[in-house]
Amino acid sequence: MTPEQKKFAKGYRFNNFEGQPEAKISQLDIPSKVTIPLKQGFGDEVAPIVEIGQTVEAGQIIGRDDESISSPVHSSINGEVVAIEKIDYLGEETTVITIESNGNDGLQTLPGASVNWQDMPADTIDELVYLSGAASSGTSGIPTTFNSASIMPNEVENVIVQGVASQIHNISLEVLLKGDILSHFTAGLKILKKLMPKARFHMALDESQNRTISKALQLMSPVKTINVFTVPRKYPLHRDEVLIPLLLGQKIPHGYLAANIGAIVLDIPAILAVYDAVTEGIPLIEKTIALCGPGFRENTHVKARIGTCLEDILKKRTKPGKDIRLVKNSCLTGNTLTDMSLPISRTFNSIIALTEGTEREFLSFVRPGVNKDSFSRVFLSSLFEGLSPRIKKGCDTNLHGEVRPCIACGFCEDVCPVNLIPHLLFHQVQNDVIDELLINYKIFDCIDCNLCTYVCTSKIPLAKYIKDGREKLADEGLTCPEPDFPLKGVKP
Amino acid sequence: MKLVSSLIGKLHNVRALNKMKPLIDAMDAGILGPEDLTEGRPHLVDNVDIKRYMSMVILALVPATLASILFYRWDAIRLIAISYIVGGTVEVIFAIIRKHDIHEGFLITGLIFPLVLPPSTPSWIVAVGVVFGTMFGKEMFGGTGRNIFNPALVGRLFITIAFPATMTTNWKMPFAAADAVTVATPLSAFKTEGITASFTDLLIGNTAGSMGETCRIVIILGGIFLILTKVSNWRVPVCYISTVFLFALIGNHFLPERIAPPVFQVFAGGLLFGAFFMATDPVTSPFTRTGKYIFGISCGILTVLIRSFSGYVEGVMFSIVIMNAFNPLIDQIVLMFKYRPAKA
Ligand code: SF4
Ligand code: SF4
Repeated sequence: MTPEQKKFAKGYRFNNFEGQPEAKISQLDIPSKVTIPLKQGFGDEVAPIVEIGQTVEAGQIIGRDDESISSPVHSSINGEVVAIEKIDYLGEETTVITIESNGNDGLQTLPGASVNWQDMPADTIDELVYLSGAASSGTSGIPTTFNSASIMPNEVENVIVQGVASQIHNISLEVLLKGDILSHFTAGLKILKKLMPKARFHMALDESQNRTISKALQLMSPVKTINVFTVPRKYPLHRDEVLIPLLLGQKIPHGYLAANIGAIVLDIPAILAVYDAVTEGIPLIEKTIALCGPGFRENTHVKARIGTCLEDILKKRTKPGKDIRLVKNSCLTGNTLTDMSLPISRTFNSIIALTEGTEREFLSFVRPGVNKDSFSRVFLSSLFEGLSPRIKKGCDTNLHGEVRPCIACGFCEDVCPVNLIPHLLFHQVQNDVIDELLINYKIFDCIDCNLCTYVCTSKIPLAKYIKDGREKLADEGLTCPEPDFPLKGVKP
Repeated sequence: MKLVSSLIGKLHNVRALNKMKPLIDAMDAGILGPEDLTEGRPHLVDNVDIKRYMSMVILALVPATLASILFYRWDAIRLIAISYIVGGTVEVIFAIIRKHDIHEGFLITGLIFPLVLPPSTPSWIVAVGVVFGTMFGKEMFGGTGRNIFNPALVGRLFITIAFPATMTTNWKMPFAAADAVTVATPLSAFKTEGITASFTDLLIGNTAGSMGETCRIVIILGGIFLILTKVSNWRVPVCYISTVFLFALIGNHFLPERIAPPVFQVFAGGLLFGAFFMATDPVTSPFTRTGKYIFGISCGILTVLIRSFSGYVEGVMFSIVIMNAFNPLIDQIVLMFKYRPAKA
């Protein structure tokens, strides 16, 4: 059986950028100090259940709240709590717990875990998934009876496993699933099937990277329990708002989560976290992170304890003497990382080091541009792209041009994954015409993927204008009409 | 490079040149390369910019320009030089008055305009045409991006109407001597005597006509190049040309004296140049896809109608300008249908 191929006409394929992570991974040393944010991944911030001065073990729950929609947070090292404070964590005020190591490298596992998960009752699985923190994965969380997502496990109709490589830099699936881990992955899927018995399972795999993986998956599941799709390597197919309509033909209404239409989207690390929790009782205290982009000496992967500060991860790994911009997870939508004392959390999957484009390029507009990426085909790179994958496209943060009036070239419309006409919305917001027409032009469908800004010939920050437009509409009390079909669970 | 950069740096500091700031900025950005960084989200952006985009149009026009220089020597160089100097000056003046950067659009307008003129157009008429086209075709509407009409076409149309004698009778064969007798263009030859020129002559440009319009083979190549680079959209030229072909095919069957045969219609006059280089101007053609089809088809119908039934010999410019005027309306109507409120 071959996987079904899905096509996607819009979006944009980021091909051959420099700084892709190699399929290598190294384990970082246990840090001497960690800072653990009490909001990690899906869910609300939890309350601390430890005090300053208290000794904690790696794997011990230090923050938990069963009432709100949330998942527990664990200490990732053995040591002593030295501070509980509020800090600005990537733009959000977050409570963090700082723990100093005592040098011990043991790990407290969750009780009740067993390799014989087949015989385990569903509520044990439910509890383990919750207690391990794995339930905070994905864009809607994994539903458990402990309120870890906005719906309950029996309300889930579709589970989508997302192995899409749609970003400029992508974590290597080869690393995530190497060796035995592939069998952990398939077991993890079956465990989830026990947790959410009513759900149909789907898997979206990147067409180029995962042929072997999808084949292996097919071989390993003798019963047809999972529909495997291959999807093109196009940005932003990793987004629920684009992937779910493509696979299931359902639309997520503005302001709601995939869970509200009964769908849960999980990435591959989330499935592995479920497996680790249920079979070995290992809580989610470690994360594999891809180090991407030209600012690193070597583009590899590291496995680090959650709460490790950026400095410990990056030290000696970035190129010295270069002006570098560090970005979390995505070159198009990621936060800039400026404070190196901030920790990593469960939501990290890559750190990208871009060269700041401060170096000006003499007569840049007449250069052949063999390694310049563009949606248009005005550079030689579009000729060479297919010919030689060895020519890597550069990534620096230069704007590559001056801002100009829109010339209606239509590139933004060609790429918009949700079929908007970005320049139309932009003109209206720019002229300050904030009225129902904007809603009629579907401004609330925009998913802030920033792709229109990426391709714009006139260097207009379209996505920003569109976001402003939505905020201004909200200020005037104009909101997106509520969907006219029933939704599940709690509105986020 | 260092030398240039320090020189431009010095220019920035000369007080007397403060007024000329747009000019110096343009040199700075053009020669030394873009300087700004992304603000983040997105951190990386596409390498294309207006300069590159427009350079592609110029590049696509190079063969047609070379052909016109080969055919008409100094006349061609004279017209292009005047158009660029006058057009550039007007752009700089407006940039200074309106305090914006110099916009690269005049580089295209300044080249397209002379290419659609008869080779023996007097220099002063060229200058008048450029000034009129820029002022009333572009600046009156608020500058690049807001203009409804293609500025080169507005200029060309103005001088056609204002100086009919010079503009409609002053045609020469390629390679002709300066004092050679004027001849008829293939379209007017058909209109007055019913003669159609040979296909090969039309293709390589061995006919009288506007400077850059005659050598059709290089125009087709340039047009295809633009479509391949995504700088121009295939919808308008394809619809335009095929409509002319179909309409002429049918029309010629019923009214052979009035409506010229289809292949001749497509290759004669300024149709190919207009379809590939002027109707495709993204600013002045509809941005919706359906709108582009409507625009192309209407241009095609109008062109054949004007050529066959009006006092004018050529209808390409008129039809594009007329449709330019309708393009905001076309877009509005298409959008109305596209975004019709769900409930009726
Ligand atoms: S309009 Fe919104 S959804 Fe469309 S490309 Fe721009 S940011 Fe993405
Ligand atoms: S990409 Fe930029 S210049 Fe082109 S139509 Fe969109 S907004 Fe206008």
